[in-house]
Amino acid sequence: MKITKSIRISRSQLLSHKLRTALALLGIVIGVSAVIVMVAVGNGAQKEVLSQIESMGTDLIIINAGQVQRSTGRQQISGTVTTLTLQDANIIATECPDVKIAVPVQTKKMQVKWGNLSSNTTITGTTPDYQKVRNFYSENGDFFTEEDDKASVRNAVLGQTVVKNLFGSSDPVGEKILIGRVTFNVVGVMESKGVDLNGIDQDDQIFIPLQTALRRVFNLTYINTINVQPHSSDKMETAVIQISEFLRDRHRLNRLNKPDDFTIQTQVELLETQKETTDTFTTLIVSIASISLLVGGIGILAIMLIAIRERVNEIGLRMAVGASKKDILIQFVIEASILSISGGIIGIIIGIIISVVMSLATSWSLSISIPSIIYSFIFSLIVGMFFGVYPARKASLLDPIEALRNE
Amino acid sequence: MENLIIKANGLSKIYNKDANGEVAALRNVSLDIRKGELIAIMGASGSGKSTLMNLLGCLDKPSAGTLLFDDVEVSKLGDRELALLRNKKIGFVFQSYNLLARTSALENVELPLIYSDKVNISKLAKDALDAVGLADRIHHHPGELSGGQQQRVAIARALVNDPDIIFADEPTGNLDTKSSYEIITLFQKLNEEGRTIVLVTHEQDIAEHTKRIIKISDGRIVSDELNNSPKNAESELNKILKEVQNEN
Ligand SMILES: Nc1ncnc2c1ncn2[C@@H]1O[C@H](COP(=O)(O)OP(=O)(O)OP(=O)(O)O)[C@@H](O)[C@H]1O
Ligand SMILES: [Mg+2]
Repeated sequence: MKITKSIRISRSQLLSHKLRTALALLGIVIGVSAVIVMVAVGNGAQKEVLSQIESMGTDLIIINAGQVQRSTGRQQISGTVTTLTLQDANIIATECPDVKIAVPVQTKKMQVKWGNLSSNTTITGTTPDYQKVRNFYSENGDFFTEEDDKASVRNAVLGQTVVKNLFGSSDPVGEKILIGRVTFNVVGVMESKGVDLNGIDQDDQIFIPLQTALRRVFNLTYINTINVQPHSSDKMETAVIQISEFLRDRHRLNRLNKPDDFTIQTQVELLETQKETTDTFTTLIVSIASISLLVGGIGILAIMLIAIRERVNEIGLRMAVGASKKDILIQFVIEASILSISGGIIGIIIGIIISVVMSLATSWSLSISIPSIIYSFIFSLIVGMFFGVYPARKASLLDPIEALRNE
Repeated sequence: MENLIIKANGLSKIYNKDANGEVAALRNVSLDIRKGELIAIMGASGSGKSTLMNLLGCLDKPSAGTLLFDDVEVSKLGDRELALLRNKKIGFVFQSYNLLARTSALENVELPLIYSDKVNISKLAKDALDAVGLADRIHHHPGELSGGQQQRVAIARALVNDPDIIFADEPTGNLDTKSSYEIITLFQKLNEEGRTIVLVTHEQDIAEHTKRIIKISDGRIVSDELNNSPKNAESELNKILKEVQNEN
């Protein structure tokens, strides 16, 4: 018998039992669409992270005071560490040949006021080179200058979230704000940068000259971070080694045989951490997908067994009019395959629709992956065939007389 | 012997039903069937008529004995060859019609053709339905047909592959007198066209329309006689139709 005939028989059988067919499809449909949506979400998240890392510049080296502890991809600095100084930052650039710029940073969360509006935000004391190192520039008005820093001038540049919180839609440039008890002139507004890898809104901060910050606002003598840019991306590794040796020497750690009192991170490391997270996520997706498709397959198995039990008479009749065991086997395998193929196709369509609706309804960027569509489809086909073979074999082994006697 | 289609030799069928022991549905039955015969198999309920038909029609396997179909021993055939034999050479009409409920008369008749290598399936199926007088009912589903019409669909299905022999197990068992005569008329016509037909019946009247009557009892053949003056079903059918007209 020709395959096309078998397909025709199977199709008309499936169409004449619509509810049962729908139930058999359900598992595969859910499985396939779940895979497509999850992969789309995962891909979207990964793209977002990559674009964040790239927006920070791939040649960024961050030196933090103290040992940074990493837990589940996020970083925490333990306790207050006072070992990193402004002098460290100033000399690194001259002492380490591969370092181009070193930018000292000290941050603190503080209350800010404009008129009678107030907001809690991060105050970042730094130097104008911060813009270059972090690839983060002022958009409206100006950033403060080297001279502002040297003279401890009270100029401030606002992040866009701060502007939104305090000023709403009015232009903040030229206004005066209160950071703690100190009055600052707003000289500019930063471009929008969004959320960083640690989930911190980079637009929710105010930049002020470091000298002003240390002397007038924070009342500190140490800094917590140095952002470093090497001469070129391929000088990253040597720059990191030079910095590490320089700081250990300067902090007398070698002589006292102490561990580092600083942590150096590069974007490369961040990318690697990110890759680990992504891999975990992928494993999770694959296991959820396998389980749901397996459940889908069992659905097909169950429905096929019911269908065959119900159609014992028909199978006997087909054998009596000349169907061989192989014809019956093929017919039911094809029936299971049609189920899983249509389940796969419907699943793909639903998966794409859900992904699109989700990306429209939320701000998540979703990217539908073609391989995920192909893999889940092939997998569902294999599952359907695999679970279809057993019932089909059972059907083909029926005795025609016994089958015909069945009512 | 010439024109021999089936040669059964010492056929037995024994069922191991339960702990009580074995049921011998058929014991040592031998018979020959030649081309062009119209045979009735008669017997009481449970005498083994269906069992014999299923064996002769190569649907069931005997416990003992041999069956030659066109000089080929059926028990030696593989699954594929057996399927081919059933498809090409045998047509079966079941007592309970055994039509597929969710498909049209036409599709039911197409069923044997699907498993053959024939092309132009629906033309052949339409011709067969035409031959049984159902040309105007091809798209009806079995549920929309009378018992007699359903049985005629089943006969069309048995005919469609142009088999050497047609087996009909109590084809009139569920039908009223008029429908029964219609079916027998059809069988007589098919037989006149040269087809070999074996039918099971427990009605003497029906059997008298055939050319050979085999009686079985308790799994054995008790008589096997030729009927030299078979009744004509068509004239009887006309008589009945006339009576109905007179009543009105
Ligand atoms: N599958 C089976 N298992 C056990 N016993 C069976 C089976 N099929 C038939 N029999 C027995 O074999 C005997 C003959 O059965 P068969 O169906 O051939 O009778 P029959 O002459 O066709 O009767 P009826 O006129 O009622 O159709 C009966 O006693 C029946 O109970
Ligand atoms: Mg019977």
